Amino acid sequence: MLIQTTQLKKDVETSEGILHILQPTDLQIAAGETVAIVGASGSGKSTLLSLLAGLDLASAGNVSIDNVNLGDLDEEQRAKVRADKIGFIFQSFLLIPSLTALENVMLPAELAGNRDAEKQARELLSKVGLQDRLTHYPNQLSGGEQQRVAIARAFVGTPKILFADEPTGNLDAATGQKVEDLLFQMNEESGTTLVMVTHDSELAKRCQRVLRMDAGQLSEVVRDVA
Amino acid sequence: MWHKISWRLLKHELRRGELTIMAAAIVLSVTAVLSLALFTDRLQAGLTERSAEFLAADRVLSSRRDVSEDWIARAQAEGLQTAQRVVFNSMAFAGEQLALVDVKAVSDGYPLRGELRVAEQPYAQDALAEGLPAADEAWVAAALFQELQLEIGDTIEIGDSGFTVTKVLTYEPDVGFSVFTDSPNVLINYSELAATGLIQPGSRVRFNVLYAGEPAALDAYEEWLRPQLNDDTHNWRSVEDGDSPLARSLRRAERFMLLASLLGVVLAATAVAVAAQRYCQRNYDVVAIFKTMGAQRSQIQKIFILHLLLLTTFSIGIGVALGWLIQSQVVDLVAQYFDVNLPPGSGRGYLLAIGTGLVSAVMFTLYPLLRLVGIPPLRVLNRQLTGTDRLRWLHWVASGGTIYLLLWLYSQQWLLSTALFVGGALAAVLLLVVGRLFIRASRQAGMQAGSAWRLAMAGLQRRAQANSVQMLSFSTAIMLLLLVLALRHELLADWQRQLPDDAPNYFLINVAEDDVEQLQQRFAERNIAAEDMYPIVPGRMTAVNGVPVVDEVSKEERESDAEVQGEQREGFGRELSLTWRDTLPPNNEITAGEWWGENAEPQVSIESEVAERMRVGLGDELEFNIGGEVFTVPITSIREVNWGSLQPNFFMIFNTSTLEEFPATYISSFNLPQERKSELYELFKPFPQVSLIDLDAIMDQLREVIEQVSVAILFVLILVIVAGILVLLAQVQASLEEREKELVILRTLGAPAKLLSRAVTYEFVILGAISGLIATLAMELSLYILQTQVFELGATFHWRFWLVGPLAGAVIVGLMGRIACARLIRRNTAQLIRRLA
Repeated sequence: MLIQTTQLKKDVETSEGILHILQPTDLQIAAGETVAIVGASGSGKSTLLSLLAGLDLASAGNVSIDNVNLGDLDEEQRAKVRADKIGFIFQSFLLIPSLTALENVMLPAELAGNRDAEKQARELLSKVGLQDRLTHYPNQLSGGEQQRVAIARAFVGTPKILFADEPTGNLDAATGQKVEDLLFQMNEESGTTLVMVTHDSELAKRCQRVLRMDAGQLSEVVRDVA
Repeated sequence: MWHKISWRLLKHELRRGELTIMAAAIVLSVTAVLSLALFTDRLQAGLTERSAEFLAADRVLSSRRDVSEDWIARAQAEGLQTAQRVVFNSMAFAGEQLALVDVKAVSDGYPLRGELRVAEQPYAQDALAEGLPAADEAWVAAALFQELQLEIGDTIEIGDSGFTVTKVLTYEPDVGFSVFTDSPNVLINYSELAATGLIQPGSRVRFNVLYAGEPAALDAYEEWLRPQLNDDTHNWRSVEDGDSPLARSLRRAERFMLLASLLGVVLAATAVAVAAQRYCQRNYDVVAIFKTMGAQRSQIQKIFILHLLLLTTFSIGIGVALGWLIQSQVVDLVAQYFDVNLPPGSGRGYLLAIGTGLVSAVMFTLYPLLRLVGIPPLRVLNRQLTGTDRLRWLHWVASGGTIYLLLWLYSQQWLLSTALFVGGALAAVLLLVVGRLFIRASRQAGMQAGSAWRLAMAGLQRRAQANSVQMLSFSTAIMLLLLVLALRHELLADWQRQLPDDAPNYFLINVAEDDVEQLQQRFAERNIAAEDMYPIVPGRMTAVNGVPVVDEVSKEERESDAEVQGEQREGFGRELSLTWRDTLPPNNEITAGEWWGENAEPQVSIESEVAERMRVGLGDELEFNIGGEVFTVPITSIREVNWGSLQPNFFMIFNTSTLEEFPATYISSFNLPQERKSELYELFKPFPQVSLIDLDAIMDQLREVIEQVSVAILFVLILVIVAGILVLLAQVQASLEEREKELVILRTLGAPAKLLSRAVTYEFVILGAISGLIATLAMELSLYILQTQVFELGATFHWRFWLVGPLAGAVIVGLMGRIACARLIRRNTAQLIRRLA
């Protein structure tokens, strides 16, 4: 299994007592799978994603990625795991405003010490149709274009896993559709494992598996139609 | 790879104006420090050079005995210019007439600094003297022409020699401010000194060697000479040692410049601190993204440290260029105005400026940077996360330490730095506490107000903690501005008081008792403002509490030296000018005891410094001898005298009943505009025995120096104002960013732009007004301490500032807030949301 959790749990202390954001969860995701996590706002989807990606630490239980238990790693080592194996796409794009589209895409590769960063980034940007926008800053791009830059950035290090948090949440329907298509197309081409948080059921349906999060409880949705 | 990322970030951010405030803050701190350091260095050197004229040299060695030729030869060998000056009292005879004169014998080269001016006839237009009197000639003061009824070409006899009077002495640079009690001066050539036969062992003569040259050479010579000097015989002096009005004015100006510059440095550093905080906060998201992308902590550290260093270097470069340009322009301007060559600045200024930029950028960013590097990657999903606040104390330690270090670096004075720092720290705590209280109180008041007000009040309250910190920097900036402004005003006012336009420019001595009334009448007819007439009875002080005074004062007398130090030290051991009076003279202040008023018991009031030097106090019995009549009086009051007032001043004032029976002549001073100078002859024609002393030349020089210093002070003020405005701007910018999210939400919900803009403006107006009020309070306290402890000025209350402070704070901060807010509100909502996303 590429991603595996055992009794993964997240509690948060608040003034009103302990809040169980994620109930003990066991989950296995195989390499190359595409998985959607759906659920209402505040149900704990993003928390699960942050734990799977090693952005946050669990209160109990384990997450392992490629047979490495994230709980045994310190922040630096987890960052290394992310650098080597993980790509991200966020609802709010999270591009660095003072870097151009090309530089934003180059960034993860450069941080990983990849000497081909620029070449790879150019290729990816032309793949997402932005070959004419290389020197534009994020605020000079439309929302859809920004998300395409973010997709290119997510694929630049040829990650094994791609985490996407509401990738079309900030886009209108038509643009969202195009971005969606692009994402799935690139995912298919590179054989990346995709874990996507969304509350768009149509988008979720394009994934091989759909998991439902309900008040911190994760359950597998049984697909009636293939 | 990381350095590429760092460079790229810097390049784009600079181009996009995102680093403007941070860069501007560093540029300003470097510019301010450099131009202040270079300018004050040069100005100080220029002023010292200028004021050296009052000594006629850069340094003077004064001696009771003839000075060894070896010492003079050594000075010449070290490249110094030297001249000799010998001063003594003697009688001058002209036919049947005789008068006590001050003889000054000077050698070639005199004066080494300043100029000697002479006229062809008494009270005629004077001109620069060419050379010195020839061996058998004498140049004499106008007063002596009257006293001895001389004409140009007459001969006077001094000792065994006869001298032809060839010129009227109108101005000697080293005449000092003791004109009034001294006898008329006679200038002769040093070569003729021995022939007078007056220089005998035991005669009361002062031998002076004048030195001029490069400061380094002078210092080296001083170092060599000092160990060989005998305190009883020798006195080594530079212009700063004096107690003349000029020396005092210069010392004050110097202290002001230093203090104002220090405040400017603190302000500039504050701007860097505020900007550094913002600089790091802006990058929270960037760091979170970096970390999400798998960046290592060390990579992030390297990227941002390099980023900061590059930014700092870039800003320092611009700051140095700008600072050099500004000071060179100002120096050119001032040099023209000063009519002197300002010496080139030292390398110290550059080091100091670069050091300031580097130290403040690094130290103020230390904690924000630590916090930045610690930003958790999870921030990409949860924007509320801002990392740990555990090391906040480090921030205060680093910032405080940096400010202290900068103060010390700049002033090189532990005491001053510590006093300023401790005072500043206390003020900061006070400001924080008072600020919080004000905000709490303002909430109660604001409940009744309209909706923009209510929004503003609610905002103030909600951000109380952040606001009180912001208020700290608003208040600091406003306070320092007010402080420099008020101090400048005080200094100028004090100088103005010292030298008002109608200050007496003539002294009048030797007025016969019978002529007093007639003379006063003539003054009144011609509308000439004259001071009171003071009777003068020459007398000696012979004993203190029955102990003859010669013994008691002999040591001081040996140490003492007249010229700049003033006549008070020299006055004893010879006749004093005693006077009587019913009322306390202007510019005199009783510091102990009481003025006699109606009390007719014999008594005397003594000047405070003399009392201190002679170790006498209230109740001590002083014995005087006037024309053979000896009497004893108790001291019943001690007066502080403003010697700078250029009015008749006295060491000893008696009540009327004690002295009125003695024969007296009268003195006074009056003001006559220079263009009316020609009236003098007519005015004094009926009073041939009256002597006039012209003070215009001295006063002009004093005015000129004060004017030059005022220009310098204005320059410092402008720099401090620029620094202050930058702090305010940086802080407004920073506070607005904190309000951005809220504004966006309200705007999205349909709040009209006008309402939001008003609410923000009101919030800043309130913040500014409170800051202004607190600043005024702090300013008043600091000013009290500075006036009384540093500047030797009286304490005053500045009621105007209590209005100006809050008003200026409200207007400036409010206006800045409004402008910054307008930019934000002009954007459409979608753009705003995207900015926040």
